[in-house]
Amino acid sequence: MYELTGVGKAYTTGFGKVLALSAVDLTVGDGEWLAIRGRTGHGKSTLLNLLGGLDRPTSGRLLLDGRDLGRMRDAELTRLRATAIGFVFQTFNLVPTLSAAENVEAALIPLRAGLAARRRKVAAALDSVGLTDRARHLPSELSGGQQQRVAIARALVKEPKVLLADEPTGNLDEETRDEIIGLMEKLWREYQLTLILVSHDGAVVRRAQRVGVMSRGSISFGP
Amino acid sequence: MFFFTYLARELRRRLRQAIFIALGLAVGVGLVITVTAASAGVKNAQAGVLKGLYGVGTDITVTGAAPSAGQAKPSTGSGGRVSLGMGPNGAQMCVNGKCRSLKNGYTIDTLTSSSYAPMNEKAAAEIAALHDVAAAAGGLLLTDNKTTISQNPSPPTSFSVDGTDISQQKLGPLSDAVTKTGRTFKAADANRNVAVVDANYAASNGLKTGGTITIGGTKFTIIGTVAQPEGSNPPNVYIPLARAQSLAEQGPAGGSLKNDVNTVYVTAASAADIPAVQSEIAKLLPKATITTPSSLASEVTGSVSSAAKLANDLGKWLSVLVLIAAFAVAVLLTMLAVSRRVREFGTLKALGWRGRRIIAQVMGESFVLGLLGAGIGVGLGFAGVAIINAIAPSLSATLSQPTGEHIVTPNGALNPTSSHTVSVPLVASVSGAVILAAVVLAVAGGLLAGTFGSWRIGRLRPADALTKVG
Repeated sequence: MYELTGVGKAYTTGFGKVLALSAVDLTVGDGEWLAIRGRTGHGKSTLLNLLGGLDRPTSGRLLLDGRDLGRMRDAELTRLRATAIGFVFQTFNLVPTLSAAENVEAALIPLRAGLAARRRKVAAALDSVGLTDRARHLPSELSGGQQQRVAIARALVKEPKVLLADEPTGNLDEETRDEIIGLMEKLWREYQLTLILVSHDGAVVRRAQRVGVMSRGSISFGP
Repeated sequence: MFFFTYLARELRRRLRQAIFIALGLAVGVGLVITVTAASAGVKNAQAGVLKGLYGVGTDITVTGAAPSAGQAKPSTGSGGRVSLGMGPNGAQMCVNGKCRSLKNGYTIDTLTSSSYAPMNEKAAAEIAALHDVAAAAGGLLLTDNKTTISQNPSPPTSFSVDGTDISQQKLGPLSDAVTKTGRTFKAADANRNVAVVDANYAASNGLKTGGTITIGGTKFTIIGTVAQPEGSNPPNVYIPLARAQSLAEQGPAGGSLKNDVNTVYVTAASAADIPAVQSEIAKLLPKATITTPSSLASEVTGSVSSAAKLANDLGKWLSVLVLIAAFAVAVLLTMLAVSRRVREFGTLKALGWRGRRIIAQVMGESFVLGLLGAGIGVGLGFAGVAIINAIAPSLSATLSQPTGEHIVTPNGALNPTSSHTVSVPLVASVSGAVILAAVVLAVAGGLLAGTFGSWRIGRLRPADALTKVG
């Protein structure tokens, strides 16, 4: 599925060029759960952004199902994000003025699904994360764990192939963390997702099939 | 559906800011409506004044140039060229070269054109033939002066006489007149000694339909009386142009006015053609004085003039400044709101929303704020207009006009003028076009604000947006 060859990402700042990723080689198979750990500022989120088509590499080749994300036009990348990739963020990133159901529905807007189909899918997604009874609640009326469940429902409602999660439990207490990771594992199996999860929490990372460690822009795997 | 839900929720979330933006636009729009309505009211008042003062129902008036002081010979008295001296039969008075012995009870009655130089009556036909001219008619604006020799001298009297082109009564001073008694002219009256008298002048001088009035030493039968619009300054008596040409003399020169006119009333094909027609007439008659509504308006003084200047200068700039301020506030607040939602927009981009879709969302919010501003602004505008109509005092307009008299003194000749002042109410009114323009302005302001906000979203990369702390 994912095939990265010599992928690098450099940023130009006022102090010169900063190399966030340097020559990353990585392959992630279909349905695999890969966890990436590492210290803050060592390129975990940058790698995730490249994998999700939110940014482009400055060097190397990044293929998803044979298509080079670095060479895709913006419109193609947007379409890819709308159909094939789901995101879960550390800070949930829910739209504060929309209800739980409307936040989930927002992921279906680019797909131009009809109202009835959207409502049906939203109900199913909320049901899969156990929040049917909270559908009309605003994010501010939900707990952190519930908000992350809504974010997971939003990521999965369009039935993507890939789920990218950036520190999904970073803002949660231990009990809720375990609950969310358990939910993600269940959904990973159920939807046969390719799950790439970034976390510095050992308890979370241990649940993955494979763990990579990011250090100074490079990824390495243990024996 | 989702678009409107999201839009409404977002506006509700930043309700105070939304109200502030809408109110800012509303104040600007309300001010524009109020000032425009007041300005239109002043213009209407000006138009009413001009119509009332001249009452000629024409677009352009062409008059022969007024004779200069140097053209006249020193003499005494008023009207015509008057001189006193000794003749073969004793003391005599000569008016325009005609000398009479000064016998007790003798009345000298002259009909003169001392205010305007004569033009050949063909000028009216030539003007009528010009491009963009709908109609043109000649006329003679004259003054009848009467001086009676008496042992108990009384001051000379005078009244104004209009030689009317009977074939074109829709042009000239009679065009706005309403018949009060009797009738006005018919084609058959062209060479008859018949006169129509202004109703006010008739009332104050005991003149009635069926009676007579002496003009230029000739008795005319009064066939009717007419009333002119209130505030106007109409001629006292109207007679057929041919009779006026026959009886009248050119003031100081004392020449005949047969085949002459001193005024041509012109109607342009449309209001937009007036400047072009004015230019064409100036080429045709370089020495003539051409008066248009705009040139006439510039001669009007008084509070109506001050109000016009106030509305055109201060009012216009005040509304422009308020509008610019409102637009600037709307733009800044929208940009601020967008900057606070950068992460939200980044998330939407991550979900696969196209930039255009997000921009449409922001523009939709701005459009609604613009509409809201327009609605409130129209209400404020109407309130402003109502306040103006309730408290605005009546405006006065003063216009100096030649009296028609020509006084010759040892120091030269004088053409005295009289100031005519009328009072007109200021009625500010709002037209549909102004409301439409105001709505367009407010919506444009909202969209302008949205455009500035959206410009940033369009340039935003999803990865950058997601790292922003909103």
